[in-house]
Amino acid sequence: MAQPLHIAHLYPDLLNLYADRGNIRTLRMRCLWRGIEVTVSEVPAGSRPDFARYHLVLLGGGSDREQAIVGETLAKWKGELRAAIEAGMPLLAICGGYQLLGSYYQLPDGTKVPGLDLLDLVTVAGSPRLIGNVAVESDLCGTIVGFENHGGRTTHNHEPLGKVVRGCGNNGKDGYEGVQYKHVIGTYIHGPLLPKNPRLADLVLARARAYQGVDHPLEPLDDTLEDAARKAFLTRRVQL
Amino acid sequence: MSFIAIWVGKVLSFALRLFGRRATSLPGKAALRVCPSLLRRLSRQLEWCVVVTGTNGKTTTSAMLASILRQGQPIIHNQEGANLPQGLTTALLQHTSWRGRLLRRVALFEIDEATLPQVTAALPVQVLVVTNVFRDQLDRYGELDTTLDKLRAGIAGTDAVLVVNGDDPLSRHLAESSGHTVRYFGLAAEHAKDTEHGQTRDGAFCLRCGERLDYEAFFYGQLGLYRCPACGFHRPQPDFTGEIRGWSLRVREVGQPPSEVTLRTRGVFNVYNALAAVAAARTCDQSADHIAAGLTAFAPPLGRMQGYATHPPAVLNLIKNPTGCDSVLQAIVSEPGRKVLCIAINDLAADGRDVSWLWDADFDVLAGRADIVGCVTSGLRAEDMALRMKYAGFTGSMVVQPDLGAALDAALALSNSGPPSADDPTSTDVTVYVLSTYTALYAVAELLKGREHLHGAALAYRTSVS
Ligand SMILES: [Zn+2]
Repeated sequence: MAQPLHIAHLYPDLLNLYADRGNIRTLRMRCLWRGIEVTVSEVPAGSRPDFARYHLVLLGGGSDREQAIVGETLAKWKGELRAAIEAGMPLLAICGGYQLLGSYYQLPDGTKVPGLDLLDLVTVAGSPRLIGNVAVESDLCGTIVGFENHGGRTTHNHEPLGKVVRGCGNNGKDGYEGVQYKHVIGTYIHGPLLPKNPRLADLVLARARAYQGVDHPLEPLDDTLEDAARKAFLTRRVQL
Repeated sequence: MSFIAIWVGKVLSFALRLFGRRATSLPGKAALRVCPSLLRRLSRQLEWCVVVTGTNGKTTTSAMLASILRQGQPIIHNQEGANLPQGLTTALLQHTSWRGRLLRRVALFEIDEATLPQVTAALPVQVLVVTNVFRDQLDRYGELDTTLDKLRAGIAGTDAVLVVNGDDPLSRHLAESSGHTVRYFGLAAEHAKDTEHGQTRDGAFCLRCGERLDYEAFFYGQLGLYRCPACGFHRPQPDFTGEIRGWSLRVREVGQPPSEVTLRTRGVFNVYNALAAVAAARTCDQSADHIAAGLTAFAPPLGRMQGYATHPPAVLNLIKNPTGCDSVLQAIVSEPGRKVLCIAINDLAADGRDVSWLWDADFDVLAGRADIVGCVTSGLRAEDMALRMKYAGFTGSMVVQPDLGAALDAALALSNSGPPSADDPTSTDVTVYVLSTYTALYAVAELLKGREHLHGAALAYRTSVS
């Protein structure tokens, strides 16, 4: 019997602006339905994450103020986080969490709020906010759908998560959305991200299982409702 | 005074009514286009006005307060949802003579947090009520900090006395940092529970210093008995304390005889609405008689646990954000009898185009309960809602039907097909709880009314086949 899959949700009390609990719930339920034991650690504000024990980490979005607090806290342990990432630990970073992966977030007044400097990525506040339904085409898992709502314009020197089909993406200019580096995925897509993108959810889970050392493919699940929601979204909301 | 603007507005208002349309904002919008300063020009003629803002409970609180104020004199009151400048202008135009004279001199306006800074400076606001500050419709307000900034700016534009929910740390911080005279309302400490079941508590951190707040106990959401361990920020002793005794609310104010209010709707959030209305009325110097008569005359607005005599009976609720939705869900699961849910989710501008809030709401309380017979999801986001129920762990019968009328029929049919109660096969102990976002609410209410009409026919049919 394998150890339970250990998922960490970093600072949900500060970073849960866009229903990131929905992502955790999706991961948890998709394990449960397959009989995979799972433990979720909610790491509360200010406390130290134990990166050596996690198989998958989720970092969500918050307001500028909350994001700055998290940045300061995490900066103390970014060496450990970097080591885990280099070793292949999957990290899913959404909205504010995505911005935190970079070297800074520049506020409208020019102040640069330092990020964790894990990726070659910067974000500059812009106007107007980029808000709306979004669909991107990704090599990882096909079409990813959701909602975006961000003032920041992000640019980076890594692989994007996908190509924007509808919506604005990273900066509304270069036509790309998100970032991927090793098993890190950063994105502005919420809605939340995972319930309507089961292939992406399973990819993240499969990577986490491999990182845990479990060599066992994921059984397919009945995704009828997920597919219906995707189809409704693509036909009624983004008219692809 | 721009008579042309007034005439444009009034003619349009008249024409819309002639054709049976709701004239809540279009006339004001057209009139403001002709004369952008019309709102200021008209409201200058007001003697005083009251503004109700906040995330949850604005509509109910202002409807109760309107009913109280009307006991003293006729007032101007904007319609539910019409709380942008054009909605306020429409309301004023309805009581303006063709020569531009305002015929009523007291107004009560329900105003969105986001709109507040655009309009308060134009209004003679004597009392400003903040019901609470919760996360709401994110794509309209950006983030919570933006909402707080808007409220701050709106309050700064007035000399009003603030009537504020002291149990809410966000509202409390707004009030104490405003420099205005503040009167706090709050529930009696004995009603607080020490269990922490609320998932979405935005006020969990001190806005003064950023430290996590300590809670002795909670009322609902982030409302509770809080204190900051670092800077001493704390819940104030309320000026108006609410004590719940069965179906009545007693409001205590130091040096005054208490007011008794009969509660006609369920849930702690409805208690806060009544408490806010009484506190505001007293702050406006309304007599105890007016308060009592006004609350007796008050009819709850649409979507607050309205009952419909369909077969089986249906109860309609508006849901629009996680905290409000959680209160509704809590109220539903605490009702006796078997239940069918019909949840209609739209994502039009007035609903909020981002439906991610569904995942912050605690639909999980519906999972694993034998009394919930089934669930029908509907509206433009019927499939998203179905997915939410699936991941909540709900395993009962589920129907996905985007069409509202067909969805209601499916829900009524599900209730009739459920297993009959063991000891009484003819028992009608099933209730259909309809939850709807704003833009589907009026349509759903009409459809339910239409099915009330069918009720007699359905009964007759049943009689003839048995
Ligand atoms: Zn403090």
